Amino acid sequence: MGRAVSKVAVAVAIVVIVAAVGAALYLTRPGAPEEVAKVELTGNLEQDIINVGKALQAAGISEVRYSVWSGGDPNSVMRVYGIVEAAARIMKIWGENGINVRISVDTNYYQKPDAVYQDFVSKWALNQAPDIMANGYVYIASLADEGYILDLTPYLSKYQDFLSDFYAPVLEAMKYNGKLYGIPQDTEARPIYISKEAAACAGIDLDDLAGKVKAGQFTWSDLFNMAKQAKEAGCVEWGLIHRKGSAHPDLIQFIYAFGGSLYDEDTGKLVLDKEAVYKWFTVERAFADAGLLPHDMMSWDWGKQIHPTVVNGDAFAFIGGVWHWTEWQTKAYYHDPQTGEDRGLRPEEVEAKFYYTLFPAGEPGKQPVTLSQPFAWVINSKAGYQNPDYDRLKDIYQKLAVLLVIKASDPDIIAIHSIISSHLPVTKAGAELLQDQGFVNDLPNLPTIRSDEVRNAISDIVERTANPINIEFLMNTTYMLEYTHFTPKHPQYPKLADLFADAIDKVLRGTMTPEEAVDYLVSKINADPDLKGAVEVVGEVPTGWQFPQS
Amino acid sequence: MKNNHFLSRFAGGLTSFLRSDASKFLAPALFLVIVFYVIPVGISAYMSFTPLKNWNIDRYATQFVGLENYWKLFYMVTHDPSMKAILLTTVVFVAVTLAVNVLGGLGLAIGTYFMSERAAGASQLLWLLPRMTPIAVYSLIWYYFFHPSNIGTINSVLMHLGLIDKPIDIGQGIIPWGPWSIIIFVNGLVGVSYGMIVFTSAISNIPKELVIAARVDGAGNWDITRKILVPLLKWHIIYVTTWQLLSLITTYDHIFLLVQWNLVNRDYGSTWSLYVYNTAFQAGETDQGLAAAAGVVLVLISAVLGLITLKLMGFERMIREPRGDI
Repeated sequence: MGRAVSKVAVAVAIVVIVAAVGAALYLTRPGAPEEVAKVELTGNLEQDIINVGKALQAAGISEVRYSVWSGGDPNSVMRVYGIVEAAARIMKIWGENGINVRISVDTNYYQKPDAVYQDFVSKWALNQAPDIMANGYVYIASLADEGYILDLTPYLSKYQDFLSDFYAPVLEAMKYNGKLYGIPQDTEARPIYISKEAAACAGIDLDDLAGKVKAGQFTWSDLFNMAKQAKEAGCVEWGLIHRKGSAHPDLIQFIYAFGGSLYDEDTGKLVLDKEAVYKWFTVERAFADAGLLPHDMMSWDWGKQIHPTVVNGDAFAFIGGVWHWTEWQTKAYYHDPQTGEDRGLRPEEVEAKFYYTLFPAGEPGKQPVTLSQPFAWVINSKAGYQNPDYDRLKDIYQKLAVLLVIKASDPDIIAIHSIISSHLPVTKAGAELLQDQGFVNDLPNLPTIRSDEVRNAISDIVERTANPINIEFLMNTTYMLEYTHFTPKHPQYPKLADLFADAIDKVLRGTMTPEEAVDYLVSKINADPDLKGAVEVVGEVPTGWQFPQS
Repeated sequence: MKNNHFLSRFAGGLTSFLRSDASKFLAPALFLVIVFYVIPVGISAYMSFTPLKNWNIDRYATQFVGLENYWKLFYMVTHDPSMKAILLTTVVFVAVTLAVNVLGGLGLAIGTYFMSERAAGASQLLWLLPRMTPIAVYSLIWYYFFHPSNIGTINSVLMHLGLIDKPIDIGQGIIPWGPWSIIIFVNGLVGVSYGMIVFTSAISNIPKELVIAARVDGAGNWDITRKILVPLLKWHIIYVTTWQLLSLITTYDHIFLLVQWNLVNRDYGSTWSLYVYNTAFQAGETDQGLAAAAGVVLVLISAVLGLITLKLMGFERMIREPRGDI
């Protein structure tokens, strides 16, 4: 009896507790969110900044926090500080209009951009990913597919003037499935560097070579013959040097130079163009067989072999990138024969040693190319999540994040980043500033920079890099963007690129003929169900194709 | 019916275990095993049936794709032209490195046993260095040691001595023995110290009287080793062999870097676990579902191999209760 009573008592107690908790939750439930005045973006940047500021102030917000992550070489820190500076500029506008709201920006700058991406992806679901990230445009595909980043199309519908100042191909690279997911941050080109000393030694005339390359009159066969001439004259040890380890992105240029493709816009599939790939492999094999290109090129060491060979004039041509121009000045790859010490080159020495041109056409009738991998500002689809009242003010926080990115694209910020990191400007206004003598002369004082944090972070780098020769180099290579190609924004592309590296290594070492290597690629693609479904194999290996052709 | 019987016996066994003192002694260890091993294995097994990728847990963790990830893995293994080389490499790598680790560890432990204490300590410390060095630094040392140019230590020394006139590419040029030797050498050097520590502590527990008596009877070092030390170390040898076997099957960190840096051939320098890692994480989108499936397969293979080793070496004789006639 007693036991039954106690059981009843326990049951009653449980019911009472549950009811009490339920009632408490019901009574304290959040009321319907108070309406927040909606801010529509008008396309007038200053007006939009003021409207967003007023809306935040009206909602009782005094501070907004954002975090921005990016990565890359130590000179490219504007990939995070651009946003810090933009915040300072927005706060100045707010201050002038009596708006008392602060923006604080946490920055995180990594060495490796792919690690930034991996962290973004693995921390997104945990609400620890940054609000804004600057990273390679190739990541847009998977970030957009997973819903991790904002589709910027509706936000920028009124900002057509702003968008039209970006170089069209670079802006195009930010689109995925017809929608705009990123704002270009920087880009680059990959010139072929030719040793002026080696050319002079072998009696090769480089006059207007870049013009002939541009016109498609100078092809890879001509470069082969020149390199051979220089080597046979005893002027260089190697005719051609290129990157190690991966085929992406430098060697992929061969595919485009032979008129091939890597992506089919209509089907959305990756493409293995057997003809272009075969020709690429054949060219490299011809260089290797003639003793012009090392058989073990893919396992050379960047710092101890590749750069020293190029910088010390032991190679006739080098498939490089614009950023090498300043890298050769900051890293001690050059062995000074006079003093016997290893040091960086001076800007005038780099200029005296290297001629640069587009990547020549593969064969007559084809076009010269270069390849760019622009960086993109992307905005987290939960941007502003670390701020108070996020559910109610989400829209305003997101719009402010978009305005920060727009402000970070101010011409002077773009121009400063280009100069100090040796990247190409992404907007025409930024490019024009490079030609503005007044701007360039004042650069060491950073008169336009408002944020002390940014000033402290970059003043040393500015001092070291803001040299007229380097700025001229950037202006002289900007035209290459008209010939640029982009590797596909396809989630499976990195896998395919890995296979290319494997295949070209086998070709250079002579363990496979170019034809066998193409077949090997096909069988590797077919061995991976994901890749097999994502790649269409087109074209055939041409019969009787010779290299060099003249 | 039989099932029911088994279940009730299991439940009964579990209850009496939980009530026993043994369970209280084992609790801390059990807790760690459950938290860090059983639960992760359970989660991995679960994940292997989902299309989880790019860590998008919100979207994919509740979707089921059945055996698709396992099918994908099977398809890759059966279609990849590099697979023959990878499997062969795995077998050779695991077998030879295991022998090096166990015999090397044993040799070092016994060798130092016959040394003076100070010399023994110093030499053991030396052998521990590879294990104490961070993986990337350690791999970088061997990268430059074996580098196929005059910046490589071996090549530079041989060229200075006039033994060769141009550098040899061991990792890429001498297929397959070159890359095999490098990965076995690099991993073997890390592994021996483990066996060495276990065997050294085991030897120090062998009663000194046995050795002294043998010496009095005129036994040399070799007889002492063969007739006293090794037989008494039998169980430790079983333990080290099994442990090292399982860790070699799943190890890929040093190999990953050596392949990544192109020091060794991709096909004849990659083992199964590296292949799994590369397939799931390295290229393109990170496919956690596929990685989990590959991980489950690795756990199963390791479990089977572990059981076989223990069986072959008579493990149950070691844990059998003493007969009481000692």
